[in-house]
Amino acid sequence: MRLLRYFLFRVLQMFPIALFIVVINFALIHMAPGDVSILLAGEGADPDYMASVRESYGLDKPLIQQLGAYIGQLLQGDLGLSFRTREPVIDIIAERVPATLLLAGTALVLASVLGVLVGTVMARRPGSALDAAVTTISISLFSIPVFWLGLMLILLFAVTLRWLPSSGMMSVAGPREGLAYGLDVARHMILPVLSLTAVWLGQYVRLSRSSVSETLAEPYVTTARAIGFSERRVMTGFALRNALLPIVTVLGLELGLLLSGAVLTETVFSWPGLGRLIYEAILSRDTPVIMGAFLIMSFTVMLAALLTDLLYATLDPRVRL
Amino acid sequence: MNPTVIKTIRATARSWTGVLSLALLLVIAAAALAAPVLGLPDPADMAFDLYQPPGAAHWLGTDNFGRDIFARVVWGARVALIVAIGAALLSILIGSALGAVAGYFGGWVDGLLSRVFDIFLLIPTFFLILLIVALFGASLPLTIVAIALTTWPRSARLMRSQVLTLKSRVYVQAALAAGAPHWWVILRHVIPNGIAPIVTDGTILMGMAILTEAGLSFLGLGDQNMVSWGSMIFEGQRHLRLAPWMSIAPGVALLVLVASLNLLGDSVNFAMNPQLRTRGGAPKRRRGVAPPADEPAATAGAPILQVTDLRLEYAAGDRRIAAVDGVSFSLPRGGSLGIVGESGCGKSSLGSALLQTMPNNAELTGGTIRYDGRAIVLDGKPVIEGGRSRIEALRWTRMATIFQSAMNALNPVTTVRRQMVDTLRLHRPGMTRDEATARIGEVFDMIGIPRSRMNAYPHQLSGGMRQRAMIALSLILEPELVIADEPTTALDMLIQDQILGEIADLRERLNLSLILVSHDMGAVAESCETVAVMYAGRIVEIAPTRRIFDRPAHPYSRTLISALPSLTGPLETLDSLPATGSAAAEGGCRFAHACPAATALCRSTPPPAVQLGGNHVAECHYAEEFAAEPVDAAEPTATEEACA
Ligand code: SF4
Repeated sequence: MRLLRYFLFRVLQMFPIALFIVVINFALIHMAPGDVSILLAGEGADPDYMASVRESYGLDKPLIQQLGAYIGQLLQGDLGLSFRTREPVIDIIAERVPATLLLAGTALVLASVLGVLVGTVMARRPGSALDAAVTTISISLFSIPVFWLGLMLILLFAVTLRWLPSSGMMSVAGPREGLAYGLDVARHMILPVLSLTAVWLGQYVRLSRSSVSETLAEPYVTTARAIGFSERRVMTGFALRNALLPIVTVLGLELGLLLSGAVLTETVFSWPGLGRLIYEAILSRDTPVIMGAFLIMSFTVMLAALLTDLLYATLDPRVRL
Repeated sequence: MNPTVIKTIRATARSWTGVLSLALLLVIAAAALAAPVLGLPDPADMAFDLYQPPGAAHWLGTDNFGRDIFARVVWGARVALIVAIGAALLSILIGSALGAVAGYFGGWVDGLLSRVFDIFLLIPTFFLILLIVALFGASLPLTIVAIALTTWPRSARLMRSQVLTLKSRVYVQAALAAGAPHWWVILRHVIPNGIAPIVTDGTILMGMAILTEAGLSFLGLGDQNMVSWGSMIFEGQRHLRLAPWMSIAPGVALLVLVASLNLLGDSVNFAMNPQLRTRGGAPKRRRGVAPPADEPAATAGAPILQVTDLRLEYAAGDRRIAAVDGVSFSLPRGGSLGIVGESGCGKSSLGSALLQTMPNNAELTGGTIRYDGRAIVLDGKPVIEGGRSRIEALRWTRMATIFQSAMNALNPVTTVRRQMVDTLRLHRPGMTRDEATARIGEVFDMIGIPRSRMNAYPHQLSGGMRQRAMIALSLILEPELVIADEPTTALDMLIQDQILGEIADLRERLNLSLILVSHDMGAVAESCETVAVMYAGRIVEIAPTRRIFDRPAHPYSRTLISALPSLTGPLETLDSLPATGSAAAEGGCRFAHACPAATALCRSTPPPAVQLGGNHVAECHYAEEFAAEPVDAAEPTATEEACA
């Protein structure tokens, strides 16, 4: 009940944000140099299509009505047509989402689990030489440009050692079903996942190191020790359990940042996801696709933030309206 | 310069990462500044020697057009630094202005602006920048503006929270009262005082800006007229197999610059908040000793707790502070002792030493603690028997603590019942959940908590109920000795009285032995038979309660008593602990600096423990004289600065 009410409240809060994002997008299109209809339809579109775009976006009407028409189009799930392939942008994007989810999801799980683990261990010995070394390494890790790390991994493992494929999601003439297919995809995933995980890992180590050490200084931890709980239980049941709260918050807030890493990584590895799509769209100046991708990314981040909020609320009994 | 700024710089200079990163940054900045006069080949100069690997002629090789990569890397540093400084400055400018306005005016202005900050946090900024640059065309100034437009809420939030704390400061209020306009107060008083953490965050912002620009360039959205590391990698990618050095060098440069910025920010942050580095942690493993060979078997009539010459030291930086400096007392079974003193006098450290729950920077350096005649601490070391320290066998089953529950002494994410069940089952493994619940019900009835509150989370209970829940938790295993550490602080007077009454009542009914640690003479008077007054790490006077109130023999006790009924000290901090180096080391009385009766003798010779008969002992040269005088309740107090 508490959770349901909270959830509905948060959903309601998302509407103004969604509106804000749409308005930004709209404003940018209108402020950008060049004809709006060309931006929406793509350069060199045929006159018929151009006319239909003008019609559906109401481009000869006052701005506020144009905004209304724009929102109306979006609500119908219409993000326009790709100027390159003439397919609906929404379909092109939908087709690419699974690959991105697979890549980013795997790396996210790996990085957060490993990061929390390492961070927690470090929090037990604050100020030790190992702690200082791990802190420095994690800061260096998230200072690496992820795309460059990807290139270096390709250079080492694909070009020099020839152990792993350098690009794509599956071998050209490889199997397309069954276990063999899964293994083939897994082999292609290793390097991109490795680059993403490495860069994100630094963040999670830092974050969990500081929040666990903060909870370890809390009075309830002293109580637990005075009661006689083993140090293992103090760590898991008291310190880590409470430290998860800030970790989850930041996890939700930084998803946007994470997605940008995923996009860059996909570009390096020609991974057929959203990032690769955006890259191709930039190269061919396919603005409808770039705008559509921005909108979809924004809504994804909002949705993810909503889910983390809900996760937070289940973890922390103090959350309520 | 502001002293905290100087302190921060000094502390940063002490960490090798801080020094190293600053040095690297300076080298990069110098190279970028001096690029035109270094005599490097023109970075755009194309030559015939394409794809030259690194060598004597071209230190880092040449690229697909035969351009010198070293020269390009040096010139690229200019772009990186321009982006970093430009974007961070702009972002801080916009952010602190709006953050200051939001925090300063509060109300709907704050509500609106805070919503905007929140919304920006949810926008995937990289894609917004990407969209802007894709729509408006790639150019460096636009990239900088776009980055700042998406990062300013970060500075704004920081500034807002700074302003919220600064707003009530005296100088701000004084300026306003003098008729200064709001914008003047914000510019003159609020922003300069709140800017420090925002500037620290600036290094992180700069790192983010550089990586963002590099990412954009790598996607082909870099400024075509400039040499940027990102676009070098973008070009290098296509020649990865043929000329890997094309991508290696600019990437290393990016990594070094961004890592230096982040490490510098981190060092400065730690320098400003040194406790961040050492706070928390698992308890130190302390070397134990075997029980003494000549220890008598448990004797009937031995005091339940006997403390002899106990010493506890804190390490604060390179200083060592004796928080407990030779404390002795003994508590008979069923007896009750109140330990009173100002914040920082060591009374809480003493409490934590008894249960051995001291923080990691504290250490017992000497003294003996005997429980029921058996040593649990010997010469400051825990006594180990059969591979297990003796204190472990006593914890909670025989010796429990009542902590101050207002300070999160109960786990905030677990129900009260669950915490008690876990405690019960930890020490009584065979117990079923039903039995445990029944036992909790009993204790709840005894303490006066409605059983219906069992499933509440700590935050759902009122202050008084939460403190009662803490008491219930401490009594759940029927201990013999309870140490109550400020059990009523932060509660209102009425509830304080109720709870003290309940503790006294429970003590009688359960035949508990009690140690009550408090800053409040009145609280102790009600529930304890004996009172020990602590000052600067020592018990300066100990006597039966009636006796100490009637004939206090130490000037410090007298000020405590005359300051009744409300004596609330400042929060306990390490800083307020007296250093070992002061009066004690000089050999005089530790209270001499604040004592209204101090004489030359007091300043030169530590006072002896004067036996006044009837278990009354005081450490004062003139104890006998004072004990003969009645207290004047209106006497002005010296306690305010007593422990400062
Ligand atoms: S010994 Fe002297 S300075 Fe110390 S408390 Fe007694 S009178 Fe005061």
